[in-house]
Amino acid sequence: MALDFDRSILGTEFDHSVHPAVRQTDIDAYAATVGETVAAPGLAPPTYVVSLRTRHFLPPNMPNLGQVGFDAGKDIDFGVPIRVGDTLTSSSTIHDIYEKTGRSGSMRFIVLRTVVTNQRSEQVAVIDQKMMFR
Amino acid sequence: MTGLFEHIDVGHELQPLRLTLSSEQVRAYAQAANMPGGRFFSDEAARQEGLPGQIVPGNMSMALFSRLLAESLPGMSIKHLSATFRAPVRPGQPIVVHGVVIEKHCTDRGDLVECDLVVENADGERWVTGTATVQLAAGPTATAREP
Repeated sequence: MALDFDRSILGTEFDHSVHPAVRQTDIDAYAATVGETVAAPGLAPPTYVVSLRTRHFLPPNMPNLGQVGFDAGKDIDFGVPIRVGDTLTSSSTIHDIYEKTGRSGSMRFIVLRTVVTNQRSEQVAVIDQKMMFR
Repeated sequence: MTGLFEHIDVGHELQPLRLTLSSEQVRAYAQAANMPGGRFFSDEAARQEGLPGQIVPGNMSMALFSRLLAESLPGMSIKHLSATFRAPVRPGQPIVVHGVVIEKHCTDRGDLVECDLVVENADGERWVTGTATVQLAAGPTATAREP
């Protein structure tokens, strides 16, 4: 399948979500499952940011990249820490789409970029999630 | 006054985590992390998706990287964390999460170290690989845990 898509979709926001205020109970439940201790009371472990549930995981106008999608990897730049009471906003875009050919054949990748900010407009994280399709 | 940065050399190995994640732990993580995929909750649901059985979310492997760094380098803060999910991690199988310091930098943003990170099975197969940039705590109180 040739990788042919409208490149104007790159960088276009497909999800904008405002999340409920962070509760201590949410942080505690998250940290307990991996045995992580928090650096200070009221602070979330860094990877807590991946627990934010956006309204749209994939863009509605996503090109057909194949039938089966796998989480191939993630890249997170951390900004200010998440604290109890923070109201976080996430904005997601298609950052990149590309194709690779390996020993097992052709694979197509989509990189979804989510920028998370807090109620003070401080950057909490930039998350690049790479999904692989065959 | 010297801090952790002065006591850590390139090649320093982080204190490995040796653990076997239970099916229940994986379910609890998926629930706490708002990951609704059936593949994280049961063998049956995972098989319906063409997988051999329940799998550990990639995000959970990243959380284990974060725990490894927090336990090995007390007081540090993670600036950057990346992971490549090379093969599914399954509950019920012994894994080792480990890492090594590969670079040190004194910068105007603080003392930074770069680490290579791995989740591997008992046979040394690398299921998840990653890298991290962490800022070390300043001052004499922080002490690296030796492997």
